[in-house]
Amino acid sequence: MSGDAGAPPFWAEDPDGAAGEYVLGTLDAAERAAFARALERDAALRAAVAAWEARLAPLAAAAPAVAPDPRVWAAVEARIAGRPEAGEGGDIGGARILRLERGLRRWRLAAGAAAALAAGLALWIAAGPRPAGETAQYLAVVDRGGGLPALIVRVDLAGGSVQVRSLAAETPPDHSLELWYVGAGAAPRSLGLVGAAEGRLTLPAALRTGLEGASLAVSVEPKGGSPTGAPTGPVVYSGKLVRE
Amino acid sequence: MRTTARIRRTAQGSGGSVEAGAQRDADLARLIRAVAGGDRVALRGLYEATAPKLLGILLRILRDQGAAEDALQEVFVRVWQRADSYDPGSGAAFAWLAAIARHRAIDGVRQRKAARLDAPDEGWLERLADDRDGEADLARRDALARCLDAVDGPQRDCLVLAYCEGWSREELAARHDRPVNTIKTWLRRGLTSLRGCLEGA
Repeated sequence: MSGDAGAPPFWAEDPDGAAGEYVLGTLDAAERAAFARALERDAALRAAVAAWEARLAPLAAAAPAVAPDPRVWAAVEARIAGRPEAGEGGDIGGARILRLERGLRRWRLAAGAAAALAAGLALWIAAGPRPAGETAQYLAVVDRGGGLPALIVRVDLAGGSVQVRSLAAETPPDHSLELWYVGAGAAPRSLGLVGAAEGRLTLPAALRTGLEGASLAVSVEPKGGSPTGAPTGPVVYSGKLVRE
Repeated sequence: MRTTARIRRTAQGSGGSVEAGAQRDADLARLIRAVAGGDRVALRGLYEATAPKLLGILLRILRDQGAAEDALQEVFVRVWQRADSYDPGSGAAFAWLAAIARHRAIDGVRQRKAARLDAPDEGWLERLADDRDGEADLARRDALARCLDAVDGPQRDCLVLAYCEGWSREELAARHDRPVNTIKTWLRRGLTSLRGCLEGA
């Protein structure tokens, strides 16, 4: 369905005004979507939009600057590198927990907004029964700035299972949280979706030989998971797996 | 990265904000071209130079720090993926970046459909006229300030709140107690007179 047949598009009468409103953001949802599609094939509309962007940009620049949390750059870097940023080390000791990326972000629990992502999320990764004579246990804790642990993940290397128990993780409406295994220098592999309660995922066979140097990441994806097989939404949590 | 270093110095030199001017935009354009070539250091430079301002833009529209920072992440991932689509001939580098951020924020705020509870910021035009904190070319900014001033008050209010804070036609209609179609007319008329003034300048 091209949508091109029949009545002329809504912008036919006043293309420059429509381009201006597209830049302002005041087109309604259907108009905005149709206009964005038309932009891909209509150079004149693109030029009109670029002209409005240039005219109005000084006003955008009048927004007071706000320093972003360092976590934002870390997440960008992780995504463009195809792997999450390794967290800080230390602190493993008797607690059997390596707390990563702690305190990097002080969530503002602004009234309801983004509450889903604001919930602290923690992952514990622990190996299953330790094979005799070999250390094969890995664990990590990833949370989002020291919030309450929300998720426990147990990886059983021998059995090839990933057990997920959700404590307080909230998934944004119409989205899913997806858990990724990220080996060094390799593309992330999905371990599955983080469900509402308890669930069991399968550890891909290729990963059962060990988790050395790997990280975990949780991204926000469209409902049902990433359509592409790679993370497409923001990586909201990440942390490095460490051998116990 | 000499360009990165210069931008950093510039940023420090003016107390955290960045200096206006074509030179700076040329620096940003160079960084974007390097990013298009896969240069991660250049992306970092671009981030350091522009992320605070872009976050400010996102925050004013999304009105939530977490949502704005997530959007900022998306913006820079998109810049990384789409830097090759930047055409230096078509416009200033900062305008290109701001457009990516604003579209992301508008899509986000429309999707969330959160009620607008907070009062609008009345300081946009003052800040526009204040030349200490600008990304944009000085002449362009002066012209925009002057031409916005010439737009009818209610039309100007709609343009500024839509552009700077992401107000929808419906929200503006409620604010001005007018039908949505009137707001649409105001927006179009406001744009037309703004353009006429800017092109006459």
